[in-house]
Amino acid sequence: MTTTARTAAEATGSGPTGEPAVAVRDLHQRYGDFEAVKGVSFEIHPGELFALLGTNGAGKTTTIETLEGFRRPSSGTVRVFGRDPHGQPSGVRERTNAVLQGSALMEDLSVRESLDLAYDLAADPRPTGEVLELVGLADKAKVLVRQLSGGQKRRLDLALALLTRPEVLYLDEPTTGMDAEGRIDTWRIIQGLKDEGTAVLLTTHYLEEAERLADRLAIMHRGEVGVEGTLEAVLSGWGDRVGFALAEDVRTADLPGLPGAELSVESRGDTLWVTYTVTGGDTELRAQHTVTALLEWASAHGTALRRLQVRGASLEDVFLQVADGAADLVGD
Amino acid sequence: MTTAAPVRTRRSPGTARQVLRLTRTEFTLFVRYKTAWMFLALPLFFAFIALQQPDDEIVAGFGMGEMTMISVMGITSLMLGMGHASNVFTSRREALVLKRFRVSGVSQPVIFGGIIGVVTVFSLLAVLLMALVILVPLGGSPPRDPLMALASVLLGSVVFTLMGLALTPLARTSESAQLVGMVPMMILFFASGGVFPLEFLPEDVRQVVGLIPSVPPAELMQAAYTGYDVFGGATGAEEKSYLGLWAAALPSIAIMLAWIALLALAVRRFFVWDPRKP
Repeated sequence: MTTTARTAAEATGSGPTGEPAVAVRDLHQRYGDFEAVKGVSFEIHPGELFALLGTNGAGKTTTIETLEGFRRPSSGTVRVFGRDPHGQPSGVRERTNAVLQGSALMEDLSVRESLDLAYDLAADPRPTGEVLELVGLADKAKVLVRQLSGGQKRRLDLALALLTRPEVLYLDEPTTGMDAEGRIDTWRIIQGLKDEGTAVLLTTHYLEEAERLADRLAIMHRGEVGVEGTLEAVLSGWGDRVGFALAEDVRTADLPGLPGAELSVESRGDTLWVTYTVTGGDTELRAQHTVTALLEWASAHGTALRRLQVRGASLEDVFLQVADGAADLVGD
Repeated sequence: MTTAAPVRTRRSPGTARQVLRLTRTEFTLFVRYKTAWMFLALPLFFAFIALQQPDDEIVAGFGMGEMTMISVMGITSLMLGMGHASNVFTSRREALVLKRFRVSGVSQPVIFGGIIGVVTVFSLLAVLLMALVILVPLGGSPPRDPLMALASVLLGSVVFTLMGLALTPLARTSESAQLVGMVPMMILFFASGGVFPLEFLPEDVRQVVGLIPSVPPAELMQAAYTGYDVFGGATGAEEKSYLGLWAAALPSIAIMLAWIALLALAVRRFFVWDPRKP
């Protein structure tokens, strides 16, 4: 029997200097002439969820597989608890786990048998009954895995990952195939893991999932990170939008120029839609300043701002911008 | 953000205990897989066929049919190791199951140990079944050296399971794994010396063929059963003392250990865990 005793600092993965549980520095992954990952860097601290978003083939899974220890970096470094994870060395493998991109289950075992096996192989497992309750599969314990629905299989994938009490957890599209209730349950479980101090790396195609859970996020496209930062910083970098339908008696040339705001006009059916995208400055008040200026302008010119809208940028706006290859337009 | 977590002491169950636990699940799965029963039935079928051979006595008390059957007992793990192991590990790789074991902290030796364990268990059960159901009613006696018989099954199980695992990178589905494994399995079966006695080959050729991994376990089982030094051919073999038989068996054991070392390196170097190609 092997026993690994750890100090409090080691247990959280953070030493006195607050070292990250996961550190990726200038990671490159090349396969022949094809470069799947081009200089990706990020850190994940205990209790933090870092979301890695991106289009299909952006390099997210390759990055996760490198962290899981299946691929050696072409260049750059990855560290988990300060160690190279390649080959899953002892001391790292017992403290990490993952939900893989696809369901990874033995179809001829029952739910209970699958969890019992994981329990008996693990170094410091949670009780299987607790995990079954947590993922909502307690009433399916005796059911063969092959008889579960796609969403129930994803719940079991998550249960197997939770069972080993990972300090670092990689979640590769964990809610794909789940219904809305399953997704919300999963978000609650992930939030609970964060509260326990687990460092989580999440990839997802559900942007709402990242918005709800991520402390920080990065959006990848063609192997590169287009945008990275906290959700608030990413969205504020993209700016607030003030829009209205242009009155028929106003020419576009008459629209005012406003400091810190970029004007665009597009045709929507029979009307012209005006959008002022406000970036920089005081992120708390910049939308208000723009609206005030526009109202003053409208009053002075005796016109109306019809269907006036004010909204912040959504993650989808940023995502699509990165996917279109215009990431450089978006600040951190 | 939370940065405090309770201090945990992680007690690993230990490799041997994990291997035994995984072998237990492999046993459950084997019983539930229809294809696995086919691989188990193959040596029983070949053993039955072997008994149909002429009953000319080769060594004292053992006819040609019995000697052939005993050699089949020695390579029971050939069908199970190359058939079952390559089959299930290919399908598990494609289903991400192997990868999940790895990311869950299960080490490679444990994962491979579990499948070697179940091949060993079912090979032993099949050998016992053949001995009890077929040999004993025909007047056959128990093996003169049960330990050597056990060594034949144990070493054979390791060699052929590793060989089955080494084949998995060549297949993308369990069906193609069966096809990929069938040709070398049949070559090894017919070259084992049980079906076609090797002593009729020229000496140089016989010595080279003797290096094939299916020959030593078959000869070990024949020697274990008869107490005769059948290594190099049963015709004219001499009866040996307990230690004398083990001394005669050493080269065969060395060949199997060499194969185990070679195949373990090949599996370590070439085994593919991930179905995803870059």
